[in-house]
Amino acid sequence: METEKTLVLGIGNDILTDDGIGPKLIRDLSLKDIPAEIIFQTASVGGLELLETVSGYSRIFMIDAIRTSGGKPGNVYFLSPDDFRETMHISNLHDINFFTSLELGNRLNYPIPSEIIIIAVEIAEDLEFSDELSPALQKKYPEILNKVYKFLQEAMLSDISKAHH
Amino acid sequence: MKHISIDPITRLEGHGKIEIFLNDEGEVENAYFQVPELRGFEKFCEGRPVEELPSIVTKICGVCPGCHHMASGKAVDGVFGVEPPPTAKKLRELFYMAHFIHSHIAHFYALAAPDFVVGPTANPAERNILGVIAKVGLPIGSEVIKQRRLAQEIQALLGGHQTHVVMNTPGGVKKGLTQEQRDDIVKKAEGFIEFSKFSIQLFKDVVLGNKEYLDLILNGPYSLRLHSMGLVDGQNKVNFYDGKVRVVDTIGRELYKYEPGKYLDYVEERVEPWTYLKFPYLKKIGWKGFTDGQESGVYQATPLSRLNAADGMATQIAQQEYDYMFKTLGGKPVHATMAMHWARLIELIYAAEHCLELALDPEITGNELRAPLGKIVGEGIGIVEAQRGTLTHHYWTDDKGMVRKVNLIVGTTNNHAAICMSIKKAAQGLIKKGSDITEGTLNMIEMAFRAYDPCFSCATHSLPGQMKMILNIRDNIGNVIDTFIRK
Repeated sequence: METEKTLVLGIGNDILTDDGIGPKLIRDLSLKDIPAEIIFQTASVGGLELLETVSGYSRIFMIDAIRTSGGKPGNVYFLSPDDFRETMHISNLHDINFFTSLELGNRLNYPIPSEIIIIAVEIAEDLEFSDELSPALQKKYPEILNKVYKFLQEAMLSDISKAHH
Repeated sequence: MKHISIDPITRLEGHGKIEIFLNDEGEVENAYFQVPELRGFEKFCEGRPVEELPSIVTKICGVCPGCHHMASGKAVDGVFGVEPPPTAKKLRELFYMAHFIHSHIAHFYALAAPDFVVGPTANPAERNILGVIAKVGLPIGSEVIKQRRLAQEIQALLGGHQTHVVMNTPGGVKKGLTQEQRDDIVKKAEGFIEFSKFSIQLFKDVVLGNKEYLDLILNGPYSLRLHSMGLVDGQNKVNFYDGKVRVVDTIGRELYKYEPGKYLDYVEERVEPWTYLKFPYLKKIGWKGFTDGQESGVYQATPLSRLNAADGMATQIAQQEYDYMFKTLGGKPVHATMAMHWARLIELIYAAEHCLELALDPEITGNELRAPLGKIVGEGIGIVEAQRGTLTHHYWTDDKGMVRKVNLIVGTTNNHAAICMSIKKAAQGLIKKGSDITEGTLNMIEMAFRAYDPCFSCATHSLPGQMKMILNIRDNIGNVIDTFIRK
């Protein structure tokens, strides 16, 4: 069991314009110098399957697209599952809500991660097929990559994630 | 006119919106169902080598990637004028049974069971898979996850990846099966059969053993008399991977049975101004509006439709359950929307039994995985049954096999008109003049929608943010006079 490992998981569809921001960041981050053993992975699934993907890791960083009212494309939010508690029972994401899925894992004694950090990137377009980001997000991409990279670097160095709880 | 808006639709793939319009008397005047449509897939494919499409199409949808992969593989075979050898065909089918097993298990336990096991008007915080497991016990929860995972392992083994499947290549498959791998699948398939039998027994105990639920299935506002579509084999038995498309009418008589290549002679799509998603209908009957009955051109393509459209199931236990369902519900065809859940479980049994048959087939470990390619025909059509309905992929290429044009009719799209009509009928049955519209009422309207297991996940990988279920009641000039928020 991979109990001490950290997983950085990029979620999204890389041929659906900005929905692919998670997988794109994973590809670029995995080439950078990160000071610890981290597993980088992409996924375009949700709910029950994500539960199995994250099981066995002690910590996960999930990178996903988000749309909030009033948010600007390129904004990066560092969130914890608590930020999503309100939506836990009204999933519209994949088969069941990931957080419901985590709760299920809890009840079934799955080795679910003790720390979950969600890195959400505000996007502009996810209804059009394209393997490129929208111009608005493309422009911000170097900044987004840098921000996420720095966050991961610091988190791995100082175990900053504990401060999120 | 009052206006009720339910957005987003809970517990289902993707992001949709139900609009219910009340008249001045407070009764349902009309109901619309809207989803955001993805744009530009055809453009994305144009100019690419057609053999790349089976892998690309797995990214259309994170829920039914295997279905797109299979329909695409068959369409590409058509473009190259080739039929896969028996081993390759059986390996594809074996993969496909595993795909149905994992999907049908997920739908029943995560999406359908909460309404029955926990209750249609139960507290929404408990009306989910957690509530189901609280009722049926933790070991069942573990079994759901385990059986699903085992089915996924078969897909990953045969498909190269469980979601980004790379199995099909023009004229066959890329990889064969060893004896050891086959033996492992046999064991898994035996477990699937047992779990399928358990699941249908659970359905019978919980739903059929409850008079109120049975009444809801048979007499509630959940019934539409529409024609039924599904793929059948040479004996008119349900087939997910191959065969002819059969359509039976509202009283069970065969209307058409056609080769997939002829689909454009039988199915046409209608455009409505209020949604981008099209409405397929039976071309020879014509579009008669959103009406049910024998004269309507609207058809359904669901698990129940597949059972209605066929003469039976190709495996033993599934056939027994098929007979029992139709006997219990008063004969064929059945038009009760909620019986789709029952039909889905009969299909689960069939998929499990057929998975075992295929794994035991001596040809499954054969070495002939690919047929030599023929001359490029330039056009190919592949039809399979997706979990959510008949799935059509149609490709046109130039003489070098580069894509010129793509047309897809996906599972859920077949049922678009029927879904709208089911929602309207449920809303009319449940919202009465002067009655309180509760969260439970809204959920029971959504149950009409959820029975179809519709899937719009392609558009909705982004996080849900602070989404809530919102109900707006508007007066006849559009002002919001009341708001209902479900948390």
